[in-house]
Order: sequence, then C-alpha cells, then structure tokens
Amino acid sequence: MSIKLEKVVEKFYQNLEEGKITGRKCCACGAVEFPPVYACNECGCWDMEWVEIDGEATMHSIVLPAALSSKPDYKPLGKYAYGEVVLKEGSRLNAVVRGISKKNRAELLEKLPVKVKAGIYQRDGYKTVVFDLDE
Amino acid sequence: MNKNMNQTTLHPYSRSVSIIGVGCTPFMYTVDNEETNGLTEGELFGYAALKAMEDAGVSPKDVDYYFHGEASPLNGSNYLTPNIQIGNWFGMKGKGSIHHSEACCTGYLAIEQAVNAVASGKYNCVLTGCVEFGDSVPAPFGPNDTVETPKHPYKREKMTMDRFLATTMWLYDRNYARSFIAPMNLIYDDVAEDYVRTRKITPEQMDDTLNWMAINNRRNAAKNPLALERKEFAEIAKEKGFDNVMDYMRSPYNPKMGDLLRMEGMERKCDGAAACIVCATEMIPQIARNLKHKPIEVLGIGSAACESTNPHFEIRATEEAVRQVYELTGVKPEELDLFFANDFIITSHLYAAEVAGYLPYGEGWKYICEGRTAYDGDKPINTNGGRTSFGHAHAASGLADVYEACMQMRGACGERQVKKLPRTTMLRGYGGSQNVCTIILRTKD
Repeated sequence: MSIKLEKVVEKFYQNLEEGKITGRKCCACGAVEFPPVYACNECGCWDMEWVEIDGEATMHSIVLPAALSSKPDYKPLGKYAYGEVVLKEGSRLNAVVRGISKKNRAELLEKLPVKVKAGIYQRDGYKTVVFDLDE
Repeated sequence: MNKNMNQTTLHPYSRSVSIIGVGCTPFMYTVDNEETNGLTEGELFGYAALKAMEDAGVSPKDVDYYFHGEASPLNGSNYLTPNIQIGNWFGMKGKGSIHHSEACCTGYLAIEQAVNAVASGKYNCVLTGCVEFGDSVPAPFGPNDTVETPKHPYKREKMTMDRFLATTMWLYDRNYARSFIAPMNLIYDDVAEDYVRTRKITPEQMDDTLNWMAINNRRNAAKNPLALERKEFAEIAKEKGFDNVMDYMRSPYNPKMGDLLRMEGMERKCDGAAACIVCATEMIPQIARNLKHKPIEVLGIGSAACESTNPHFEIRATEEAVRQVYELTGVKPEELDLFFANDFIITSHLYAAEVAGYLPYGEGWKYICEGRTAYDGDKPINTNGGRTSFGHAHAASGLADVYEACMQMRGACGERQVKKLPRTTMLRGYGGSQNVCTIILRTKD
C-alpha cells in the first residue's frame, strides 16, 4: 500500500473530542503505535489502520512532580505522578497517572507494575490523554 | 531489545581521522563582567576556531570547510544562518560551511559531522566549532519584544530564567509530547528514579550520590581556569556556617528542585565557544607540519535518538549508542581511562558511566561517594567540572569536553591532570530530547 499524506494528528485529537482514544495498528505485524504515527516502529511497514485503544495499561515507574516539573496549569489534575505506562496493546509511553501522591507512593512502588486506565482529559482548548490508577 | 527501539550497525571509516587542534573560551556570564560584556558570536567562535588552528599548527588556508553548531541561534543571536554571519572572522571567507543544531548534544555531533566529512575523503582538514549564548540575549529585549526586535548591533542583556524555560519547550514535540505533559517533565528525575529502583538503593543514598557528583565536579572545576564556578562546596559550606560539606548540600541552600534532583545537580547555563581541527591522519605530515603533540584518533562514534514520549529515553538511547561504538571499535570498557558525560542533569554522569561499563553496574554510586570519580581518583569523570561547574554553553559544551579530553590525553592539564595518562577516552553526548552519541578517542602512537 502506498503512503498517504493524511492528517493523523488532527484525527487523533478529533477522536478524543468524540470520546475515543485511538492509535494506529500495523497491518503487517499487528503492533500498535500510540500516539499514532505514519509507520510501524516494530517492522517498518507503513500500511496502518486506525484502532480504538482499550485503555487498560500498567505503570512501571513513579516520579512525583516537583518545583521544576509542575506548573500552575497542571493543578486541575489533582494528585498525580509521571511514569512509564505500557498499554494492553503493547505501546509504551511517558504519561501522567492521576491518584498518586507522597501518601501512597511507597505502597505503589512495592506493587509495581500497577494497573492504570486511560482517560480523556480537558486541557486549555483541547483534550488529551492521561491515566488513572485502576487498583 | 526494548520494544520500539531500532538498531544500527556501524561500518569502519574509509580512512583514519584525528583531532589535531583544540580551542576553548572560558565559560562565562559575559554580560556580568565589564571585560566580556559586549562580546559577540563572531568573537567567541572566532577565538575558539583560531586557538584550535594555532594548537594544530595550521592556518585558515589549510582548512577546507567548517561546521558551525549552535543550539538556539535565533534566540541567542538573532540568526537563522549563523555559520554565514561569522564566516569572515577567522580567515575562511568564501569557504563552504554548514550550521547544525542538536541542542545540548550539538558539540558532540559536531565531531561526528567533521569526522564523517574527512573520513569520506571529500575534505582533508576541517574546522568544527560551536558557540552559545546561554546566559544572555541580544538587547534591548523588553516584555513586548520578540526574538526579531533587538536593534542594537552588539549589546546583550541577561537571559531571564522565565525566558530560558519558555524556550526549552521548543525541545519537545508539539503534537504529542507537550500535550501529554509527562514527556517533558520526566527529564529531571527519570534516570535517578530508574537507578534507585533497578539498583535497589534508597532515595537517601541517591541524594548523597547526587550531592557527591556536584562536589566532585566542583573539585575538578576549582583547578580549571576556563571553568565558570571555581569555589569548592567545602569552602562555601564553611562560609555559611556548616561544619561539613554534606550538611550544606542537604540544606535549604541546595533545595530539591525535582523529586530527587537538587539545585546543584543542574546545569549552570552560560556563554562560551569551543572548536577542533579534524584532519585525515594520513595527511597530517603535509597539512600540520608544525604539530607539536600526538594526534588524537577518533576510533568511532555511536548514535541513537529517543524522542521524549519514549520511556527512559536517555537510558535506552545511551545503551544503543554504547553498543554501537563498542561493536564497531572492539574497544572494551576496561580499556577506558577517562569518561565524560554531558551532565546538565547530573544523574547522567553516573548512569552513562555504568551503561558504558566504566563504572560497575550497581556500584557506580559508591565510587562517586568515595570521590573516586574526581580528577585525582582512579575513575575520573568530567575532569573539566561538568555542566554543573564548568558551565553549560549548550552547543559548545560537547566540544569543551573534547577539548578537555584531548588536553588530558596530552598530559597538559596541570593541577587537574589525572593520575594515569589517558590513552582511551569515551564521551557520551546527550541533549535535545534526546540525541545521544558516544565518541571513543585514542591517542595515536
């Protein structure tokens, strides 16, 4: 299949507006790219199809926000941490996970990886993807 | 192999390439000092370039081409094509050149670019230089000005931290990384968190390790006349009324800025330039007849890049770049005599040294806390003072490390000369969210 010039990023954000978290699945090897891009980083194929992300995932590391890594506009997130998240579909990404603070960090570190669930989060002017603890 | 990490097999250079000359300005806050306030990009780059030519015993006429690196030329100098604007300053008018920009990795990839150009046979002798105004911007720059507005021909003013942090966002992918928030905020603590979790040390032990890295860097910088910060922390602690330096390092004078990272574990952004003359080894007798020192051969350079949405981007890219350069050169970790890592987040120098096998896995933190990685230890790292004390003139820092490596390998570092004359050195470049490269240098006998 020939590569198409298409608006992948715009469609990803439009899908979020419609309540769907989407990625792109490789038609050759089945790997899922999230966030979605043109070509598969597993096998190099560029024949990709849109798929809805289930949302089930696991968190493998925990970093709490601090002076350098927080901003006033992150405040509506509530308590949260940053870390490595692995989707059920296999994609790995750095992500925000809500529901983590100094109070429960030690307990969660003992249990890593912990279950998390993808959700749609409203930022200033657009929707994005964050995760919530799913314990 | 980690999911989504592709690998590259390197092939030998078509001919041997060596560094024959090095030059470096002091790293400084130019606008804070009357003697340096008003220095321009052409003056900084030109000084480093001509020092490198002088060191190599060559003239600008012997140099075929030049590479110009700068992380943020629009922000720092109001240039889109900085290589062209300064081309008359060092006697190379009319010769070809190119500008490249890979953020804090620029100075390391400056060596990669130059070596590739010479190894291919296209050029015999090239200049590669980098410059950065990390601490100042063209003036005047008021609250309503943009990067296009400064009108004065040479005056500069201090770059505020707010402005610097605003521009660091340009290092991250706009489509996803900025939107997802986490990618651009994990740079400060991801490596330290990973080290604590995988090596099973406590956060308190990591805190001590981070502090000792800052102390060791400063001990090195204290003996380096080109370094930005030269007062040792032991002396600062005494002045502040502390009996021992670690009490000071754990105090509010050195506050936590990240989950684990403290203030003294972060770069000192500043202004500076550095340059090298890179020559085909076989052509040295013709081109550099007056060379007074041994050439330093570039054995190989590994490269990898991991955009910031990828988990543990610095670690994964370092692993791949290290794998490549060892596979290409056949060099073993135990052959390394000296190690450099771009440590604008200081944790880098611990982690990169372990990935390279320069320090043993899981034990590197002990070496650091015992002072063994300072210039007078048995495993010296960042003998110039690293980004936290030598300073970080972003693009120029990598070539400043190459300058220091070459001077150490010649035995020309005076008070901070390492105990055993290094024959083989690795430099791990890192920056730009994130380019990584690994350079192995060896003294040519």
